[in-house]
Amino acid sequence: MKYTYDDEADIRTTALIRVMALFFVGIMIIATTTSPIATGTKEGERAPALEGEFYNGSSWSDFDLESYWDPTWEAGDISGQWVAIEFMDTDCPYCVQSAEEMGANANDFGGGGNSGWDGAIVNFIASVTELDIGGHDSSRAEMIAFRDKSANSGEDCAGSECGSRPGIAHNFPYIDDFDQDNMKKWNVGGTPSYYLIQPDGIIAWSSAEHSGEELRNAILSLVPRESA
Amino acid sequence: MIYVIPLVIGFLMILPLGRSLFAPLSEYMPSLGNERGRVFSGLLLTCVAGMAVSFQTLWISSKISEGGNFCASNSILSCDDVIGNVEYNVDPIFGMPWGGIGAAVFCILLYLVYSSSKEPNADWVSSYLKMGTYLTFAGFFVIALLVFYEFKMEKICQYCTTAHFANIAAFIGFLRLMRMNQSKEWNTI
Repeated sequence: MKYTYDDEADIRTTALIRVMALFFVGIMIIATTTSPIATGTKEGERAPALEGEFYNGSSWSDFDLESYWDPTWEAGDISGQWVAIEFMDTDCPYCVQSAEEMGANANDFGGGGNSGWDGAIVNFIASVTELDIGGHDSSRAEMIAFRDKSANSGEDCAGSECGSRPGIAHNFPYIDDFDQDNMKKWNVGGTPSYYLIQPDGIIAWSSAEHSGEELRNAILSLVPRESA
Repeated sequence: MIYVIPLVIGFLMILPLGRSLFAPLSEYMPSLGNERGRVFSGLLLTCVAGMAVSFQTLWISSKISEGGNFCASNSILSCDDVIGNVEYNVDPIFGMPWGGIGAAVFCILLYLVYSSSKEPNADWVSSYLKMGTYLTFAGFFVIALLVFYEFKMEKICQYCTTAHFANIAAFIGFLRLMRMNQSKEWNTI
């Protein structure tokens, strides 16, 4: 038998192959047993947290977006509650204009009972910020006056008295995000911005990805309903 | 617990007191009969346990991202709250999950110690042991950052703490081997 000295027979190669095999076995186990979903604000991603205190019409409390999620929800299940979030500024003229539409949407899809909507309930939430633009000086009093459409509040919303904004008074939570924490976390480029989120916490629709499409149309096309 | 047992055994092997604890086993496992072999064995066990627990944390973070729970608790020990916190569960530069970084680092450490243990007199062994020492020392800064995160969250992740302990144990092991390798008794101890 002929023996040849092999300069390449280095234990490091064998060790590397064995350790890498172990590493890839670990990665493969994770890849086959989980389907991770990234957290972000694009459609298909898991919605990040929304933090801060919210006003519910009578008092301020800590807001917890996670309390809305149902991890057992499955597509088509009408019992799951959806969430529509609006990022707004009470001094932004477009937000003032869209207040009427938001109020109508909350009335129609929020499970009020008289709207004729036979689909899953959509919970509406407004995250109110103060944009870094001249003349945009917001306060909690202004936010409450905008939400409740308080007459003669003395608060100014985009050049008009807040109580004179179009539409009905809103009955959904308004989160104080004057420090822009939520807005930055959600990468919101401008106001108003809308997100429609499934009951399991996955973003189903974002206005940033559907320029020109209205939230109402997104709700009608994505939220399951009995008559569909 | 499945990770703690091999980690504690490995750590005891690494420490000088392992001599008295594991000497009786040297009859069946000759490598445990000398200091160098015992530290190598302890280090191998520590790195495997560290890699396994890091994979476990990576698995947990993937499961949590699906919307599930693994070890959520109202007590201070709640790994879901730590691993599932999207602000802190990835590194701030590349956005890689900490569990994945841990698994990759322990994989490198395992390679360094495994290849060194197989050819302890090769000329590259001293540089491998130095690399292992420096890498585990750098891990202390990462541990400090992650403990700071846990402090901010007022929660402790058991799996993460086990991985941190594995890094500390591995540092002691690499340091001891590096010093042994620099001494004249490398082949006699």
